[in-house]
Amino acid sequence: MTLSATPPPEIIAQTENTMVLSMGPQHPSTHGVLQIVLEIDSENVVKADPEIGYLHTGIEKSAEGLFWTQAQTVIERMDYLAPSSNALCYALAVEKLLGITEGIPERAQTIRVLIGELTRIASHCVWLGTHGIDLGAISVFFYCFDLRENILDLQEAAGGARMHPNYVRVGGLNGDLPDGYLARLDALIEKFPGRMRELRGLLQANPIFQDRTIDIGVLTPEEAVQWNVTGPSLRASGVAYDVRKAFPYCGYQTYDLEIPTRTEGDAYARFLVRLDEMDQSIRLIEQTRRRLDTPGPVMIDDPKVALPPKETIALSMEALIHHFKLISEGFRVPPGDVYQSVESPRGELGYYIVSNGENKPYRIRTRPPSMYNLQALKGIAPGNLIADLVVMIGSLDPVFGEVDR
Amino acid sequence: MPSTQVPPIAGAAIDPPSLRPPIDDAVIERAAPSELRSRLETLKAGGYAMLLDLGAVDYLGRAPRFDVVYHLLALAAKVATVVEIGTPTRVRILCGVDEGQSLPTVSDLWKSADWAEREVYDLFGIRFDGHPDLRRIQMPYDWVGHPLRKDYPMRGPALERAPRPAFANKTNVVAGSPPSGRTLEALQEQVKRVREGRP
Repeated sequence: MTLSATPPPEIIAQTENTMVLSMGPQHPSTHGVLQIVLEIDSENVVKADPEIGYLHTGIEKSAEGLFWTQAQTVIERMDYLAPSSNALCYALAVEKLLGITEGIPERAQTIRVLIGELTRIASHCVWLGTHGIDLGAISVFFYCFDLRENILDLQEAAGGARMHPNYVRVGGLNGDLPDGYLARLDALIEKFPGRMRELRGLLQANPIFQDRTIDIGVLTPEEAVQWNVTGPSLRASGVAYDVRKAFPYCGYQTYDLEIPTRTEGDAYARFLVRLDEMDQSIRLIEQTRRRLDTPGPVMIDDPKVALPPKETIALSMEALIHHFKLISEGFRVPPGDVYQSVESPRGELGYYIVSNGENKPYRIRTRPPSMYNLQALKGIAPGNLIADLVVMIGSLDPVFGEVDR
Repeated sequence: MPSTQVPPIAGAAIDPPSLRPPIDDAVIERAAPSELRSRLETLKAGGYAMLLDLGAVDYLGRAPRFDVVYHLLALAAKVATVVEIGTPTRVRILCGVDEGQSLPTVSDLWKSADWAEREVYDLFGIRFDGHPDLRRIQMPYDWVGHPLRKDYPMRGPALERAPRPAFANKTNVVAGSPPSGRTLEALQEQVKRVREGRP
């Protein structure tokens, strides 16, 4: 093993007219643990160098020592605001490696779309609330978290946990939706437009909010593509790239979905695109709701991957052995490599997974959308005020569990 | 450094990507380190405007040891509607690198490669020639070793020095062995000892 510890270099040279300021990692507006080493000339940023890694927990390394099913537990903890997106992408990739993509039941696909879109709204709620707080608009936060609370309740009902439900599994889902779920979903769909009107009313036409965000952190389409920005931030720059349309999964091609885009590329455009995206998500949820009336299986009928039904375990010796084997040594995945991506709330979330035929993943490489989006800060920060830097970080919406992994 | 994490690689599965026809929609190519840079330049000129991802895999025991994986996406910078984008194409370039070997940087072609290359250097120890700022990104600057290598102990070097009982070592659990963590041979040996009345 080569021992190549690079000594801490002089990150930014200080000149006569500038000074170096460290912003974070305990700065409230950095949405987690981000340090930005700034070279400033009075209030103006000359150069910004984000320092990441404070939340590095070795998730990719841990996953290499876990069974395929267990690895999903740590995978879900990357983007902790949208855990189901991570789980969905991982499950899709493993299903491709197993060659069982065709066998996933229709109802499971529909519920996956539903869960994915609910997560998107919940995640955007946190973004909108904290973005508002950064700019001094406290009340938005409470409205957003009230809406998010309803979604977390639904997640808890379906998966058993509020933050990390682990509901999407390789081969389908961990059980069908519980009784009464659809009625609560209907109530949410009912409530959503009014709540959305309130959120828009609080910020969209607010002169202070507009002053702080319009023409701040402008990303031209060329720059956005160069910096590998994806998701709402890319679409706010006028590039209508959305994985749900470009590489459909879970039957997204069968839904009526519009991709909201703007051309300004500033923080306000990113704000508007995310709000429009929330409206599109609820439209998708309404469409899935109509398909959910027909019952059906939610797990693939393949004993290699799926656990036997719980009721049979007490009655059948074979089912008990089968259950025990799947839990104690997992399933094997044929060797090969695959890249699968989904549209997470932050952009294109991808997994490049290599299997060597064992019951554990050989390597899971994440394409972290937050990390690439955050990197664009190096390009857009110079020339702006420190106060605007806060707006830019908020509008790029990084989640540090995923940036650092 | 003694390793506990090396998974049992069957002879055939040592290079999984070569074993199987591609199962996703990407075009997959292999490039040698010497021609990598020109290949990527050609692709970029041919419309692959976005370097979607840059990662690495460590195939310990194979020569060359590492694969650096480039994912490229063909995407025009000015397409404001979904209809214009249509179905973009993805290309995956695998580039085999041996230990101590370095690759040319692409951070001048795509700005986004900056952090991605730093991360590969940090976690795998693969160097990129010409990178303007190649330093650690996830691990602390004074860290020793490259954690995502397969011969880097799972629990970190410090903890790995403290021995722990074999049954607690989860990495021993392989398909076909009892879940206690012991290998089948060890279990049979113990049964034999008991039957023969040996201590």
